Amino acid sequence: MNLGNVKIFLARNGIFIALLALIILFTVLNPNFLSLNNGQNILTQASELGLVALALGFLVMSGTIDLSVGSVASASAVTAGLVMSSTGSTVLGIAAGLFVGLVAGCLNGFLVSYLGLNSFVVTLGALSVWGGLAMLVSGGKTVPRSELPDSFREIGTAAVGPVPVQIVILVVAIVAAWYLLNRTTFGKQILAVGGSQRASRLMGVNVPRTRFILFVMSGVVAAFAGIMLAAKVQSASPTIGVGMELDALTVVLLGGVAFEGGVGRISGIVAGLLFFRVLRTGLVFLQASPFLQTVLVGATLILAVALDSSIQRVIRSSWAKLGKRAVEKVEDVERSEGSPALPQRR
Amino acid sequence: MSPSSALADTARVGQGAPPRLELIGLTVEFGATTALADVDIAIAPGEIVGLLGHNGAGKTTLFNVVSGVIPASSGSVLLDGAVLGPVITPAGAAARGITVIHQEPALVPNLTVFDNLFLARPGGTRRELRIRAQEALDRVGSSADLDLPVAALSLGQRQLVDLARGMLGSDMRLLLLDEPTAALGKRETVALHGLIRRLAAEGVAVVYVSHRLPDILDICTRAIVLRGGRLAVDRPTSEFTPATIAEALVPDLREVNLAYSKPGAERIAVPSYGVSARAGEVVGVFGMAGGEQFDLAARLGGADTPILCVLDGTEVEIDSPRTALRRRVHSVPPDRDTDGLLGGQSAIDNVLLPWFGHGVGSSWWVTPRTGGEIYDRARRELNILGPDARAEISQYSGGNRQKHLLARWMYPSPPDVLVMAQPTQGVDVGARLDIVDAVRAAAAAGAAVLVCSAESDEIASMCDRSYVVVGERTTSVPRTPEFNEDLLSALLALAAPTEPTPKAANE
Repeated sequence: MNLGNVKIFLARNGIFIALLALIILFTVLNPNFLSLNNGQNILTQASELGLVALALGFLVMSGTIDLSVGSVASASAVTAGLVMSSTGSTVLGIAAGLFVGLVAGCLNGFLVSYLGLNSFVVTLGALSVWGGLAMLVSGGKTVPRSELPDSFREIGTAAVGPVPVQIVILVVAIVAAWYLLNRTTFGKQILAVGGSQRASRLMGVNVPRTRFILFVMSGVVAAFAGIMLAAKVQSASPTIGVGMELDALTVVLLGGVAFEGGVGRISGIVAGLLFFRVLRTGLVFLQASPFLQTVLVGATLILAVALDSSIQRVIRSSWAKLGKRAVEKVEDVERSEGSPALPQRR
Repeated sequence: MSPSSALADTARVGQGAPPRLELIGLTVEFGATTALADVDIAIAPGEIVGLLGHNGAGKTTLFNVVSGVIPASSGSVLLDGAVLGPVITPAGAAARGITVIHQEPALVPNLTVFDNLFLARPGGTRRELRIRAQEALDRVGSSADLDLPVAALSLGQRQLVDLARGMLGSDMRLLLLDEPTAALGKRETVALHGLIRRLAAEGVAVVYVSHRLPDILDICTRAIVLRGGRLAVDRPTSEFTPATIAEALVPDLREVNLAYSKPGAERIAVPSYGVSARAGEVVGVFGMAGGEQFDLAARLGGADTPILCVLDGTEVEIDSPRTALRRRVHSVPPDRDTDGLLGGQSAIDNVLLPWFGHGVGSSWWVTPRTGGEIYDRARRELNILGPDARAEISQYSGGNRQKHLLARWMYPSPPDVLVMAQPTQGVDVGARLDIVDAVRAAAAAGAAVLVCSAESDEIASMCDRSYVVVGERTTSVPRTPEFNEDLLSALLALAAPTEPTPKAANE
């Protein structure tokens, strides 16, 4: 393994190293940090965010974005809560909540994929629309614990053996996402669309449909996450998902998914998720001010974006060097017309 | 004889005045490849010199060195007898009166003409600048409104604005034009040529790169042919005929074995272009750089306006890439890196991506081994070199990337009709021969192959016969021992101006 390969390896796996370093740092500062109990706590906390980040990760890989996930989670949770409080039926409530997510995802998907509108703008608007609707239908009031059916509240505290249900769901979602990305035609198409829309179209990939499906998935998953959150905190607040889109985006970018699309790994997203939750939990352990937590989370996002672009640059330049070595073996006239370093060639 | 060439002749016999541009022993090396080898050229003020050569011959490199974009490995560049450099920068070259006009004008489309003219230029008062801008536009004969955004102008007008911008920087002494007419219509071309002659008459030395041989013969007083980075020919254009130019351009290619397979039934016919091909045939579609043959290729791939064609006797309208694929019409796009390959994906995925569930693996699940045999076969038959199948495609060299793109459309699912746009562009001679062999093999297996190109030798290197397409007109050229020259003559005949140009009128 030469230096170029080492560089590529480090650039691609930096998040795993950073995660390890962070865990060691917090353990040194407070030995209680590294305990089974705390680990379980971190994973339980990470569950809903993890689901949303995985779905959002697919969208970013395909070259789009969904900023509305937090609001959709809120609207779905509060709708589910209201339906449950008026009908007393848990199943009906959850179905209503998921339906909200389905509608939100279809709308985003239709506007972006089929009408060709900019995904940033559309979902920024949707962020307001669904956040506002959540407040409107609930009158700004939380559906309290007392109005939620027992069966619903039991979901929030259910466990498989000693493992909380949230962790089980997260693990299932991670495995499913990994299979989708790495072992299905659809997964390959997601990365293809993000890499080059035009090339994908010429290969017969249905670009709008691919993105539409991902938007629907993102909406439904956000709704599911909102309902899970409501079950966990035992009440359905219309602001339950506020800020989730930024947290999820931070996780996705920390996980090495390229903001311009075409590149991403599930293991990266998982590491990004753990890094994010470990950072938050660790700060709580150190009794840092909650305001400082917010500051650090914002700083992490900037760091993630900076890392993302520098990672891409490092990889590209290392490849250029590796490529040059290959070219010296296989003479390639193309380079005589313009090496990639020349600015006037595309 | 045109006034400019008369002036050039007097300049050349001039009283010991140094040439406007002189290249002495100019050599440029990129790693192991030599782009320019020991090139000596002298150009007098007022001369219009055509620079010819195939892709990779070193034309662009020569421009880049003279305009300061890349440094020379050895040798020197002299402007009016004074050595430029040792390091030439683009800004330094511009300040000395060297102007480069590219095929695509380097202007910012959303800014106005006036803003573009003075972008990143030292200014004066606004009134002063506007007067100077108007003067420059008048000089190049542009009627563009100073306050109009550049996006509102036609390509020809933009080129004039670009030229005006070049004149504002300093007194223009040397004008380098890179395929200036590739995207221009007849009238705009005539206007541009008129302007170039006027500038030359004022003493500007002009170097004119074009694939359009008629343009070169029309405007240039001298033609220089580069071949593989070396100066091959340097003679007045009056000594050239289309045949001798073609001869000068033909590179020393190994004669490909065109074992003529007996063509079968007609596989594809495109009535609107007058083009058809039978099973087992490799048919060229030759035309101008950026010409109609590439529209045909894009439309058959479903990437452009829908096109009506007859496939195996059935009339079919190809209106999307998916329709084309369903009809087993496979299209290799001209630009492998923007339209073809996905830089971030592995080599094997780049070959198999369209075929998962359509001939490769099941419709949903994909394992790391799916399609491995097909990929290995493609790699063997196209003689692909480089890292392994899992490596990302960007790690391969240009020629091997092109082979991957071809492999995608040839091996996982054998095509009935294979449409290729400049399939051997920018690849070295060895890779070119591998590609030609693979294409011949695909035809022998029953495909009808269309090779769309603006390079006659690309067509000559692999096709059984060819069409020549210019505008609405199509002619057919059979394969003969002088195939390459026949193609160029046919192109010249088709592209011959219908209204006489000044030069033609004088002769």
